[in-house]
Amino acid sequence: MFCAGHMRPPRVHAARVGLSISILAIAVVALMVNVPIPARASASVPQAVATPAAGIAAGVTWNGVNISTAPADSSALAIDFSQSANLKYSWSSPGSAPISINDARLQMFYFGFAVSTRDVTLSTAQSSDSNLPLNWTPLAIANVLEGVYRLTASLVAPNGTTMWSENFYVRGNAPLGLVAVIPIVLIVIALYEVYALVRSGRYEAIGRKAPTPPASSSPPANPPSQTSGDQPAADAAPPSDNPPPSGGAS
Amino acid sequence: MSAASHGAACGVVIGIVLVIFLQQISYLDLSDLVPALEYLLIGGVIGGLLGAGVGWVLGRRYLAHHPMGEPAPSK
Repeated sequence: MFCAGHMRPPRVHAARVGLSISILAIAVVALMVNVPIPARASASVPQAVATPAAGIAAGVTWNGVNISTAPADSSALAIDFSQSANLKYSWSSPGSAPISINDARLQMFYFGFAVSTRDVTLSTAQSSDSNLPLNWTPLAIANVLEGVYRLTASLVAPNGTTMWSENFYVRGNAPLGLVAVIPIVLIVIALYEVYALVRSGRYEAIGRKAPTPPASSSPPANPPSQTSGDQPAADAAPPSDNPPPSGGAS
Repeated sequence: MSAASHGAACGVVIGIVLVIFLQQISYLDLSDLVPALEYLLIGGVIGGLLGAGVGWVLGRRYLAHHPMGEPAPSK
């Protein structure tokens, strides 16, 4: 079944595979110790990043609900991605100096990247004690994404400085439950991979050589023919001991 | 490719897909990059280990039921 010089016995091979799996398992456990397991416990980003130096007090409502009530994914706002959301930005400056705002921004993040951004820009900057409505209809992603997402509402000054921002979470639902593109694609991929995993036992036979019969010492009965088209005609002719006549001599 | 390595490859994909699917059904938050990559890595490693084990068992079982003289099946 195996040659001593080239292949290891199956027991030794199995022991080495088991040792490798054990080392990998220990490495995974050590990795998991360093990772915060309760994913839904708290948000990993600051809940509200205000700029105390600017002295601005702001707030945003999502369909009449203050977004400060959804600071973590466990308390996310349940929304429907196919319906529009009415946001209302309001801000005021308690200090003496008025603060100009000309941009209200809403961003949705996925894997750290803003997958959707909505801006309402004013032609003339508004000073303190102002309101700004923002309508966001995520129709482009209504049939694509589901799940919990972090959104950031921010107010931007005319010079591009973010004067105020706050993170909050929404729980987006597709129009008909799981009928969104990404969940369906994920289910199809998972089903195919499970099917491939079930069939993976057949790969054990691939790459393994069948037992070869013992080699015999007798020569082959029919040697290969030498009369190919490349051979010259003189080689095919039988050898002759008599030289050809050298011509007439008197 | 052996059965264990093929099972490990399938398990890695299943683990990563499972993490993304858990986010889609609102059980995980993948909004930030660093924890999202950690979850994907952990899912892939655990899935790969489990897949390798399942593939190894299935490979042994296949060899027990199919002698080595038979031709290898098509993929």
